[in-house]
Amino acid sequence: MSTTTDEEERQLQRLKAAIHHTVGRLCQSLGENHQMEFSRPVIAAITETTFRQCDVFAKDLEAFARHAKRSTVSMEDVKLAARRSTALYNFIQSKSEEIASANQEQRDKKKSGVKRKNKDTEAEAME
Amino acid sequence: MAENSSTELSFKKETVSKLLTLFFREERTRVSADAALLMTEMLYVFVEEAAQRTMKQAESEDCDKMDIEHFEKILPQLLLDF
Repeated sequence: MSTTTDEEERQLQRLKAAIHHTVGRLCQSLGENHQMEFSRPVIAAITETTFRQCDVFAKDLEAFARHAKRSTVSMEDVKLAARRSTALYNFIQSKSEEIASANQEQRDKKKSGVKRKNKDTEAEAME
Repeated sequence: MAENSSTELSFKKETVSKLLTLFFREERTRVSADAALLMTEMLYVFVEEAAQRTMKQAESEDCDKMDIEHFEKILPQLLLDF
């Protein structure tokens, strides 16, 4: 990444700090469950690996979206990024279905909400 | 979506979305909200897997503190699996 500006670099550092925080909490809760302890260098190394893996994922996702002649990365692209491991693919597939059905539910709720509002205003108009 | 206790510890959607956007080569590439949410799940699995495998490695060496050498041993296979 030779073309990153100072501002981008600062933003990346902040995001890395956010990842470090989450990785730290995750490792701590996992360690507590097994009466074991993760040393600080391990947490830093997992953070760094996750950060770089994210870079790889991002470039893959971008390429998949472009191949489908889109400029927005969709869930289909993420599913494709998880193709190497069957267990991971199945997990991501079920999660994507969960997200899609949650969205559908929200849309239905909104729709019925609007309908009710319309009825309310109609009733008010009748009065 | 059914949020279980493990996803509460997971990454924020905004963080993942920003991170991906910064890593893209082209500026006009965007991430949909659903895709960002799905990526948080993916990264959660990645970190969880890294931590679990490190723990298993330390256990097999009869250590109760996970150190960098344990992580180093599981790293190649971890990267091959993702």
